Amino acid sequence: MSNAMYENAIEVRDLTVRYAKRVAVDGVSLTVPRGAVYALLGRNGAGKSSLVRCLLGEQKPQQGSVTLLGHDSWTQRAALMERVGVVSEDADAPPHMKVSELTQFCSRLYARWSQTAVDERLRRFGIAAGSRFGDLSKGQKKQVALALALAISPELLVLDDPTLGLDAVARKSLFEEVITELADRGITVLLTTHDLAGIETIADRVAIMAEGRVVVEEELEVLKSRFRRIRYIQRPVALDAGAVTTRNWGSGAEAIVSDYRDQAEERFAAAEVEPLSLEEIFIAVAGGQS
Amino acid sequence: MFIINPTDAAPIWRQIEEGVRRLIAVGALKPGEPVPSVRELAQSLRVNPNTVARSYQRLTETGVLVVRRGEGTYVADRPAQAKKSERNEKLRDAAARYASTALSVGVSLEDAVTELEASFARLGGEDRRKA
Repeated sequence: MSNAMYENAIEVRDLTVRYAKRVAVDGVSLTVPRGAVYALLGRNGAGKSSLVRCLLGEQKPQQGSVTLLGHDSWTQRAALMERVGVVSEDADAPPHMKVSELTQFCSRLYARWSQTAVDERLRRFGIAAGSRFGDLSKGQKKQVALALALAISPELLVLDDPTLGLDAVARKSLFEEVITELADRGITVLLTTHDLAGIETIADRVAIMAEGRVVVEEELEVLKSRFRRIRYIQRPVALDAGAVTTRNWGSGAEAIVSDYRDQAEERFAAAEVEPLSLEEIFIAVAGGQS
Repeated sequence: MFIINPTDAAPIWRQIEEGVRRLIAVGALKPGEPVPSVRELAQSLRVNPNTVARSYQRLTETGVLVVRRGEGTYVADRPAQAKKSERNEKLRDAAARYASTALSVGVSLEDAVTELEASFARLGGEDRRKA
């Protein structure tokens, strides 16, 4: 496949996935610019997994299309996977298999394989080539999966909940490795995660899915700049009509607004205004009825 | 070095920019000295390298840092300071937040000032009143 120039690493157009009558992905469109670190967020059952499967050409959507690195992900899957590294949610391999056997097996599947890169990463992670996959910790399994995914110097790295079940140290080392790849090769990264604090300083664009639809899709910096928590000591007569959530306490009230521009706005007079973390924004947007 | 607070109202690139300016102001980074590479700083702060690059670019454009081709990025020989109007605006914002915290925990102005002085000393800022 030609290494054609493409502006966007991923283009999802009007994608719909149905299981019998249930709509898992409902007309989703999104764009991941080349070089971006794109976080796809959503609660369990929001449609992330179906979307990622379509993205990787593992599943044919009922409607719409996914363009990966300029090519259709369903019809061009085999060729595309030479250029896309994937760390799946449940990085798994036969437990009796040695790490060295696993890397050897994978090396035969890809034309563009760097054994040196794999060996170097495994050494950095402190994983012996002779250890059996089944004896590795969850974090080590993910590290092996990442080393395999990066062995082909992918243009796009897809991380499906990469830090799930990892302790703080393993999480740190995984993110450090991704940062190195970003700095050295400028790859594009798409990740799904529940570890919102972990990606807050790394993601530059965010999509939030709820009930099969994309409810937020923008630069993280812009998203964070427009959300604020407002604490009123004295509850105003008309509590912000445009607020995402509101709550009364005593004679005061609290609101989360999504259209904040400036501290000086009149509606914030005699109120405390506080920025929100990505996690808080996520809960406000996707929390809904739990 | 300095710490990035993702829940700060200031975007991360600005926090990096301010962090570098602060290190220069307190003499931890001296004129003509190299600054960490984008890769190193991204690693140690655990932020997206593109964000660090953006901060460095702004610091270069404003004359705080200089890029020597093929060598790296250095503190300018005479690093430019932030414009006075900009400085005042930033201070006013930060002061408003600090005053709000002080009031909410119920300390006097005097105690608040004492704390501010202690922080100033801890971060290596000289007390210009006594100079």
